Amino acid sequence: MTAPAQSCRLLPYEAESRVFLRLRGRVAWATVRSMLSGARLRLSLVVLLSAMFWGSLYGLFFEAFTFLDSLHAEVISLLFNAFFSSLMVMLVFSTGILLYGGMYCSPEAKLLLTLPIREEAVFSHKFQEAVWFSSWGFILLGSPMLVAYGVVRDSPWTYFALLLPFMVSFVVIPATLGGIFCMLMVAWLPRLRLHAMTVACIAVAGGLIWMVWSTLSVSRADTMSAAWFEQTFSRLSITEQKLFPSWWLSSGLIEAARRDDGAAAVWPAFTEALKFLALLIANGMLLQLLAGWLAARCYRLGYSQLSGEVPARRRRRISWIDQALVNAGTAAGRPLRLLVVKDLRLFRRDISQWSQFVIFFGLLGLYFLNVRSFNYNNTYASMIGFLNLAVVGLILSTFTTRFVFPMISLEGRRFWILGLLPVHRDHIVWSKFLFSFVGGLLPCCGLVLLSDVMLGLSSRTILIHEIACLMLCLGLSGIAVGLGARMPDLREPSPSKIASGFGGTLSLVISSLFIMVIVVVAALPTHLFLVSHAFGAAGGPQRGALAWAAGPGGTIVSMALVVAIGLLATFVPLFLGLRSFRELEP
Amino acid sequence: MIEFDHVTRTYGPKTAVADLTLAIPRGELFAMLGPNGAGKTTTIKMLVGLLRPSRGNVRVSGYDLVRDPRNAHLHIGYVPDEPCLYDKLTGREFLWFIADMFGMPRHLAGERIAAEIEHFELGEFADDLAESYSLGMKQRLVFASSLLHDPDVLVLDEPMVGLDPRSVRIVKDLLKARTREGMTVFMSTHTLAMAEEMADRVGIMVRGQLRFLGTVDELRDQMALETTSLEQLYLELTSPRAAETGLGSP
Repeated sequence: MTAPAQSCRLLPYEAESRVFLRLRGRVAWATVRSMLSGARLRLSLVVLLSAMFWGSLYGLFFEAFTFLDSLHAEVISLLFNAFFSSLMVMLVFSTGILLYGGMYCSPEAKLLLTLPIREEAVFSHKFQEAVWFSSWGFILLGSPMLVAYGVVRDSPWTYFALLLPFMVSFVVIPATLGGIFCMLMVAWLPRLRLHAMTVACIAVAGGLIWMVWSTLSVSRADTMSAAWFEQTFSRLSITEQKLFPSWWLSSGLIEAARRDDGAAAVWPAFTEALKFLALLIANGMLLQLLAGWLAARCYRLGYSQLSGEVPARRRRRISWIDQALVNAGTAAGRPLRLLVVKDLRLFRRDISQWSQFVIFFGLLGLYFLNVRSFNYNNTYASMIGFLNLAVVGLILSTFTTRFVFPMISLEGRRFWILGLLPVHRDHIVWSKFLFSFVGGLLPCCGLVLLSDVMLGLSSRTILIHEIACLMLCLGLSGIAVGLGARMPDLREPSPSKIASGFGGTLSLVISSLFIMVIVVVAALPTHLFLVSHAFGAAGGPQRGALAWAAGPGGTIVSMALVVAIGLLATFVPLFLGLRSFRELEP
Repeated sequence: MIEFDHVTRTYGPKTAVADLTLAIPRGELFAMLGPNGAGKTTTIKMLVGLLRPSRGNVRVSGYDLVRDPRNAHLHIGYVPDEPCLYDKLTGREFLWFIADMFGMPRHLAGERIAAEIEHFELGEFADDLAESYSLGMKQRLVFASSLLHDPDVLVLDEPMVGLDPRSVRIVKDLLKARTREGMTVFMSTHTLAMAEEMADRVGIMVRGQLRFLGTVDELRDQMALETTSLEQLYLELTSPRAAETGLGSP
């Protein structure tokens, strides 16, 4: 064996960690600097929307805890346990999946595994990254809830000081478990990992759907009654297990927030909370040791196993839908249809696109199926119908921004193919628009119809909603495709990075404003009409402009405005996009 | 310096590398040639510790890549076919990161970084974020990083992809100089002219098997063909006819 050159040596573990820490610091600083210099709009929007989201959640939880605190104080423990145990399961999965991507599929892992560093140091580095990405949602969602709880309970300052240590030490446990499962599965079950993950995901999703369904699928009369509460709580009590970290967290937080028995009881409650915190920290550290030990033994093995897998060759036949689409219509329109079919194929074969589509619209469908469980009067039902319309629009706008906006930019790398084809450039833009519009129209109109039927709305209101939904689909597709063609980023291969750039952010903001305008304009006459009937002569507008607005005349004008705004939002960005795309020099 | 001892690597039912035995001594520049899917990249991945052999051992400077990968890596510099950098680090920061990971003393690391930046003409963009680099710039930076710790063995996977003619010249001169100083180079390439010009020995892999091992002159003698170009010899050796007749079998 040759001694290593004098210029280098193996580092102790602490030194490896310090180098990774420096790396992370430099990358974070460069990211912040580039965001401050190049993506101020996005950064401001993210901060503003996060603050609004946090504030709204805080208000919501404050009201909820005030209500629960006065009526059912013992319910808090049950709710905390249910919330944290669900979160625990989600963190195991999300961290495991993120670690799988970071440790086994990323170019960075390939670089790090050729350097003279410990496998456990690489694991630790990727683990911190995965924990950050998997748990920021918990911080954003959990912190307003816990702060509101502390405020409602008039908790001592120690409760607020312990919040962050509690949250961090809790997150480490399920995240490390996710990492351990991930490494074990890749090292020893490389061929079964996809099947195992699929089965586990289906089992968890099925369990969650069953819980939600069984909680909500009760007859109208029983909803929110004492029996309903009792039945729901008994179902949730399954999450109160003393061996679960979620129970340690819930109990620790409840102890830390205790002030019921006066100032004298604060200190014993605080020390009791510290015991739960110590339990969380000790278990987290033990699991970290175990994960480090495992990484040293099976990370390289797993990496090698996974690299040795040959992806199965999949032959794809031309589906009948594609064939039918290509052959339908005139010969002149064939190039356009071919482009749409190409995008349809890419969409079908990209699991990340259609799975998100199915999950989000599926969850919305589940919610709409259950809106009947709650008793609403006419005014509320109508308001909820319009809110549901807005939600459908917002979900669609996230898809058009995330998947449709980058489509033109992604063609940049293939522009030598499209550019040399005997196809007019306009066809490329129109094909994206058609793909987005038709793809969004069917699920959106279907969901809005489902929501309206479940809410028992009149056919007149359903018609208004469907027209508004049609305009939303048109406008959102026009905005995403038009701006995508107007502001393409032809050098960026990652669609998520294209969507999160300036153009994508602008598209999302304009889309959100458009949805708000359409929904408000469509809702106004109906709302005025219902208010006038609900309050009668005393409170409602019976005469004058407001009375006219609440009548058929107002509805016709509002629908005309909705259609006009919808067409404007569709064709102005498309016109700008088409003009710009014709002159584009890739 | 580099030893492959009866190394086999399988991917499921497919054998990517079959019973490879190969020793490359100190100061030799070895070029591995072969058509796509011949097993060159698998061989390189085993040599840098990214893949484990299904059978056999790979050693660098006496260190087994499976049993003692960290010590083996201290002796290896690696330039992959697709350069991996941190987009949000500058070239200089990336070089410092690599130097730190190899445990280089600060003063020595500083000197080497400055020298490599000058050598590979990185000065103009060394303080820009790597996200703005072209493929050639990235490749030059990776070359610089692979040489920082003065490795005994340099492993190159298609090293000239993306490099402009001037950079190719820099790399060629560097490889000649370093091998004279005792560094061993293992290079996988499709650029036959470069292999002919630079390599002390060539290995030709076909379907996971080392079909030929020796100098270009030895290949000419063995093939007994009138042609003198490596390209023609290579095409003859890797043709389906050669597999049927056993042409070039060692």
